Amino acid sequence: MSDAFTITDEQQDYSQYDLDANPFPYSPVPTEDPGIYCGQQHVSDKISSTVSSMLSTGKSKHLVVTGKYGNGKSHTLKYTRSLLRDRDDVIVGYVAQPGDGFLDIYHEFVYDLGFNRLQEFAYEFLASVARDVTDTNPIGASGMESLIDEGDVLLSEIVPEAIRRLSDVTKFADFARAIIHMVYEDTNLYAWQWLTAEGIRYEQRKEMEIHSALDDDTMGVRAFTALKNMLLELGYTGIFVFVDEFESIARLSPKDEQATLNSIRHLMDQNSSGLCMLFGCAPEVWQDVMSEYHAFSERIGEEVALKPLTSENLYELVRDYLDQERLSSAENEGIDPFSEEALDLILQTSQGNIRQVLSMCSRILDDAAESQENKITAAWVEDNI
Amino acid sequence: MLYRRRKLDLPRGELDTPVLFPVRNIGKRSSDNTPTYVGTIPEFSAAMINARSIRNRDPMWQRISNGVTLREEMDVPEDTIVFADSGGFDFANEEVDTTPAKTLDTQRQLDADILGTVDIPLSRENRAAENQRRIDQSIEYALKASDHHDGKGLLFASVHGYDPETIRNNIQYLEKNGEFDGFALGSMVPIRTDYKKVTKLILSARNATDKHLHVYGLGGLVYQPLLLYLGVDSFDSSAFIRSAGNRNYLIPGFGGEELRNIEELDRLPCPCPVCGQKELDEIREDRTALTQHNLWALATELRRFRYVAESDRDVEEYLDLRFSGNKVTKRAYETAKQQMRRLT
Repeated sequence: MSDAFTITDEQQDYSQYDLDANPFPYSPVPTEDPGIYCGQQHVSDKISSTVSSMLSTGKSKHLVVTGKYGNGKSHTLKYTRSLLRDRDDVIVGYVAQPGDGFLDIYHEFVYDLGFNRLQEFAYEFLASVARDVTDTNPIGASGMESLIDEGDVLLSEIVPEAIRRLSDVTKFADFARAIIHMVYEDTNLYAWQWLTAEGIRYEQRKEMEIHSALDDDTMGVRAFTALKNMLLELGYTGIFVFVDEFESIARLSPKDEQATLNSIRHLMDQNSSGLCMLFGCAPEVWQDVMSEYHAFSERIGEEVALKPLTSENLYELVRDYLDQERLSSAENEGIDPFSEEALDLILQTSQGNIRQVLSMCSRILDDAAESQENKITAAWVEDNI
Repeated sequence: MLYRRRKLDLPRGELDTPVLFPVRNIGKRSSDNTPTYVGTIPEFSAAMINARSIRNRDPMWQRISNGVTLREEMDVPEDTIVFADSGGFDFANEEVDTTPAKTLDTQRQLDADILGTVDIPLSRENRAAENQRRIDQSIEYALKASDHHDGKGLLFASVHGYDPETIRNNIQYLEKNGEFDGFALGSMVPIRTDYKKVTKLILSARNATDKHLHVYGLGGLVYQPLLLYLGVDSFDSSAFIRSAGNRNYLIPGFGGEELRNIEELDRLPCPCPVCGQKELDEIREDRTALTQHNLWALATELRRFRYVAESDRDVEEYLDLRFSGNKVTKRAYETAKQQMRRLT
């Protein structure tokens, strides 16, 4: 047997750097819930302004975040999402890429919300009806669910009224029925499949008295609008949709690309309030969209570009990462064990690309720990990259 | 397994459960063609009757109003236990022509031991909104019956629903807002071939209450072991009459066999008091004998299950064998078994 590989789960010791572990990611992809956002003040200002406008006025507002690969578009969207998710008056959904058309955006958005969340909306809506037509006062989804389970309200009394009201609010009776069917264990998986536009058999639709198939962009826009209107009715301020890798629409045929952009435009037109869409897009594709699809790009209105990191940005970024794993609580170690010159060299080599910066820092810190280097200097970096 | 043995404390004494209430079609236009069984089949000392049919049969109702007892009309001993259903089955296609108070009054005059509340059956063909309205109406009728019930005889609330949430919700709601001695699950007949749904609904009812649970209309040969397995306390059936009308011979452990398929036989495979003495030709000519045999077949099915359960044999092993001959019922049982295991 060959002993060419040495595989072990033994952790490397970083205590000489006052670190519990290597804080940099080995594979620099944005985490689902990022905790750090450095630099790019102009971007955070613009996003804050867009999001705040929507929250304060209820009027829809949209923004495109452009930046080259690795400059932090996904990280920016996910960081914003993580901030918004803490609020209980908005609904936030992340779409990793637009897919083959608007129906895919809708599908991804609803999937990101998840089965449980959609079921909660159904219970919340039933709760709003129960408050009006019964003597009960259910608070939230779980309050409603327990009232049903305990027999404090009669389902057959509130369900027909809930469907009628939700149909009025959404102008989409099939959508209303699907939402209400989320509370029935026999049909909630079918309802979920229909609501996510996955497609269900005619018999399954018939069981829920759903007449239409949710299988094209037009229906996707209608369902999305219905969902938003339901949420506004429930008291939410609005929906935030984060569409990442928007540049991938460029691989669609011109006809499909136009259809996708038209559908998003229709969605924006039909939702002048309660909707905020943030797109992450490569600058060259966004330039093409701006020049060729005015009707779409004019509705977005604003664009903000991510810039390569500066030295100051990098010091701050590295310090924030290192602080996550510092053993002592003094937090006066700064960028130690990196020297400023070492980081400047890393910045120069990576051309300010944050993905490359993080990757290099991760590798260099491991190598330095293995070599028992006390300080990571520019010379050491130069010898080791 | 949820199979359970209980005793119902009734005005005429105790009734061991689980029990089958053979349906007496007394009062129906076809007249009472149910043969005598009380006193000949020991476990069948009870009957299910339709209170509305009897009330609407003027001559009979006149006689009862003038002091003739229902048991005399039925030609059964006075201690025969009677479950008086409201006759709601007829309201599937007809307007409701009674009120909870009027039905209770009828049931009292019939001196019924168990009183089913007025209900309106559901149908899968109905729009969902119409079924919701019927469910709501049946609940309202049940609560009114609870208000009017004087405590004589047991009051069973009729419950309808085609999904487990509705069944559970209805039972809990009725428990909170009325006083009932048990619950009777209806609207199962129109969906009886959808075994998965039926077993799911029954299980949801069983789990929602520890009180007596009756299932309307599903006491035939195939369903009986399933209902026992699911912990149902009582059920009723007219299968023995309907099958005999179609010259269908019920065989415990198997199901129905049309007599024309076994013409060459001299003797039938059942040793019941009917088949044990008579040849096939005689039974073919005698519809009452065939009906009586079919009742014996239902009794035998019940006895077998009880025997397996009481003798500490593996009931599931027995049911595996019981349902092995028919793909559809086997699948139904397998489904029930899975649903049950998810609960335990």
